[in-house]
Amino acid sequence: MAMTYEARLAWQNRLLLLPGLVLLIAFVLIPAGTAIWLSLTNEALNGAAALNPRFVGARNYVRLFTDGGFWNSLFVTFVFVIGSSVIGQFVLGLFAAVALNRPLAFRQVFMAAILLPNAVPEVVAGFIWISMLAGGEHSTLSQVLAPLGVPSQQWLQSAPLLMIIVVNTWRGIAFAMILMTSGLAAIPADVYEAARMDGATARQIFWRITLPLLRPTIFLYMLVSTVGTFAIFGLIYTLTRGGPGGATEIIGIYIYNQSFTAYQLGFGSAVAVVMLAISALLGALYVRILKVEV
Amino acid sequence: MKFAMLRTGCSLAILALAIGSASAATIRIAEHRQARIDALNASIPAIEAKLGVDIEVVEYPAPEKDYFSKLLTELGAGNAPDLFTANNDADVPDLVAAGYVADITAAVQSWDGYPELLDVVKRLSTMPDGKMYQLDSMLSVSQIYYRRDVLDAAGISTDQPKSWAELLDRVREIKAKTGKYGLLLPAGTTWGGGAFYEGVMLMLVGTSTPQILNADGTLDLTGEGIADVLDFYKTLIDEDLMPIDPLLGPEPWVIPKYEMFPAGELVATTCGSWCYIYDWGPESKNPIPDVTDAVGTWAVPNEDGSGSTVTVGGQSIWMVNAKGADTEMATKVLLELSAVQPTVEYAKRLGNIPARRDALDNADFQALPELVPVLQNAESGTYLQSGEGFSAVSEGFARATEALLRKETDAAGAQQILIDYTRNLLGDEMVK
Amino acid sequence: MVIRKFSRAQATSYGFLFLLTIFCLLPFLWVFLASVDPNARQFLQLPQGLTETHFVKIFTTENGGRWFFNSLVVVGCATAVVVVVGGLGGYALSRTNAWWKRPFLYAIILVRVLPPTALIVPLYKVMLTANNVMRGFVQSIVPADWVRPTMQIVGFVDGYLGLILVMAALQLPLALWIIKTFFDLVPKDYEEAAIMDGANVFQRIRRILVPLALPGLGAAALLTFIAAWGDFLMPLTFISSAELQLLPIGLFRAFLRVNDVDYGFLCALALLYTLPAIIAFSYSRRFLVQTFAGGVKG
Repeated sequence: MAMTYEARLAWQNRLLLLPGLVLLIAFVLIPAGTAIWLSLTNEALNGAAALNPRFVGARNYVRLFTDGGFWNSLFVTFVFVIGSSVIGQFVLGLFAAVALNRPLAFRQVFMAAILLPNAVPEVVAGFIWISMLAGGEHSTLSQVLAPLGVPSQQWLQSAPLLMIIVVNTWRGIAFAMILMTSGLAAIPADVYEAARMDGATARQIFWRITLPLLRPTIFLYMLVSTVGTFAIFGLIYTLTRGGPGGATEIIGIYIYNQSFTAYQLGFGSAVAVVMLAISALLGALYVRILKVEV
Repeated sequence: MKFAMLRTGCSLAILALAIGSASAATIRIAEHRQARIDALNASIPAIEAKLGVDIEVVEYPAPEKDYFSKLLTELGAGNAPDLFTANNDADVPDLVAAGYVADITAAVQSWDGYPELLDVVKRLSTMPDGKMYQLDSMLSVSQIYYRRDVLDAAGISTDQPKSWAELLDRVREIKAKTGKYGLLLPAGTTWGGGAFYEGVMLMLVGTSTPQILNADGTLDLTGEGIADVLDFYKTLIDEDLMPIDPLLGPEPWVIPKYEMFPAGELVATTCGSWCYIYDWGPESKNPIPDVTDAVGTWAVPNEDGSGSTVTVGGQSIWMVNAKGADTEMATKVLLELSAVQPTVEYAKRLGNIPARRDALDNADFQALPELVPVLQNAESGTYLQSGEGFSAVSEGFARATEALLRKETDAAGAQQILIDYTRNLLGDEMVK
Repeated sequence: MVIRKFSRAQATSYGFLFLLTIFCLLPFLWVFLASVDPNARQFLQLPQGLTETHFVKIFTTENGGRWFFNSLVVVGCATAVVVVVGGLGGYALSRTNAWWKRPFLYAIILVRVLPPTALIVPLYKVMLTANNVMRGFVQSIVPADWVRPTMQIVGFVDGYLGLILVMAALQLPLALWIIKTFFDLVPKDYEEAAIMDGANVFQRIRRILVPLALPGLGAAALLTFIAAWGDFLMPLTFISSAELQLLPIGLFRAFLRVNDVDYGFLCALALLYTLPAIIAFSYSRRFLVQTFAGGVKG
């Protein structure tokens, strides 16, 4: 009762935040801590190690860094992130935003079409792309490309990594577009007006005015989307499960396969810890570079 | 007021879920694939009545790999069903080592069905230390199935090939004369245990190094036999004698087994007796007319021509969850599931072989003429001795054959992939 | 001169958008056609007839209605939890100036970037422990026959409650940020006026803050709903019982039926599963920008 008004408010705020804090500690913080502990053991789902897991120190990490599968997975993840989020989604999303920034007919129709892939749950996205890509001459892609003289093939086997990049690009254009549209809206119209007065072409305007002024938005997009792409799982799991031969085994799939197909929970956790560290680094970068204000 | 309504609502919901669960003990059984679930459900009412239990069938995802991952997760968590099956005998030692499976030696050996079990089943179901943790209530008998009609039409011999060289010549002849694929050996990672249990293993038991389990429980993966088997794969793949593209896809068995073989595009494949029933017979979506006439079988020849082998392995390998609430009752249910009628229900729908001699007297089984001779001859089958670490070996072979399918390496390289993978998982001391 | 140039740019825009639209929509063609095609296959083909049997099958021979119901319950409850917990927390974060405010907000951004597969194994262990505690509790208060059905509701592994809480926890950080940003826009004056009138904190929240922050709560709810509705890994890992199965897993399993995939049914189910996500998405569009811009502008 002797508490001051301020102290009471402070306690009240802490209390209001408490339920959320409990949820986060129970379902995020404790598991993350457990992951670190597990990564130092040979815990497994099957075999003798499942009965009596042993502390093995840094053995999982040593194995990790000499494991070809892990480096392959890192490489695949890198190409996947660069290819789909940094290049595919960004370029198409940016062009779409610029194009839709004009007063076009059917603007809403175009928009809806681009947004649709983003609204679909990832399992559904996986299925419909299996129909697009699998089945040789039956696949939709082969049917579409046949008149252009492209030989029909098993796309998920002849170019697996490229295909998952295409699929993820398809899914993520909307996000890039939405963000770029908001960035474009922030550019004052008179800047364009002045440029046009000076006789600048559309291309010049794009390269010299639009792009430089969009830079902060692009930065924000890059970070959010990179981190998001890094965490993808369901889409690739339904499409390829990491195959063929590890060609699409992005890090999330690699962890899952090590833990639930090879039953090596300890080793899987070591990979997870490395992945957590990379994500945390990216997250810290996100906070730092964008100077998030609170 | 609102709270009272909420409470009533919750009670009602619980009540709704509780309806149907009477006071008797409940035994939960894990099963996967619709045909197997149907077979199981057919025998349950009788077992419930006889033992006075409630039985609940828990449906698991169909592909074996998904089934096993899910099962292992729950076994590890301690909330798995009371009874479950392994896909292959070789999965059992690891499950035993993990402490998931109850010892059922005494119950099985004093069971009235025990004398009727085939000897090979008793051997398969017994660990090296003489204990039983599993009961193989069904057998799969694997050999090469070929399209007799296609070979006859093309004027190619249907005699039993005597050696690998002869088999390979036959396969090449098929390719040359008909243009069709000559022989499929399951391969690659998406087929789950298929590469090992339905492919490599059948060939390996006919080589100079037919076993990979050493007496001390370690594994020998450097054998010449393994190199030769992988080289046989390589020849089939490089000479375009077996279909490759479908094997790299997500459900590798669908196109070759359910489409190409019935269409005659693929002329021979390794398979078990289930092929006569489930894959191309009465239970198939795409049956081959007069399947026992149109499709013949060869035993897999030994490499050097010293004979041939039929490989047997357990199917419906029932085990009791060691952490189950009532292992005694679960064991009783397990034995009932291994009685004649329940195993015949599985045989009818899937084409596996009941593991006991007295099934031959069962009228329903006699109505399956394609299976009767297989059961009569099952005793002569051989198998690969399995031990701890075989799940890793199986996955290792899947990866090795996948590399061959993708034409990334030769037999020696593939064997190295196998060795590296297994060593990584099991440690250097386990793998010689 | 200028006009001609810009009309050429306009033509380029149309051309580009047209191609992009085809790229975006082409994959959907198969789902739509196959869902009404009596002879649906895995591949794109013109239906020879129209049928509604696949949709009927969802609710008759298959358990689709149950899956849909389960998904609605779990995702709906998770959304409710996020709105309430995130609403309280977001308010506190907006109003406090304590030293922990900044570190806390930064730290929860990190939660957003944590890949869920990285957490799944330890999370399973945590859930299991919670499940055993809950089972002990349930066993002590309900008759033995009711333990399992009760655990299906309040259990952490193979139960509604665990999945609801996990889904809520994973979506909470984003919700806290969004809601905090919206409360920041609610002037303190209103609140102080209410305090003068003697309203306690809950009355203030209900009468003043909730109505004013409604767009923020709505945005958080929609985004949570979309993310949780589409989540695949959590239901895959934590639900075993057939009667508790969620839509994404029902759909995935339907696709994995060895030698027995009914593509018409699969596509019909996929459409049913997608519909709520699209509806929620169409409402949430205008919030998306604010959400991510919220990260920069605060």
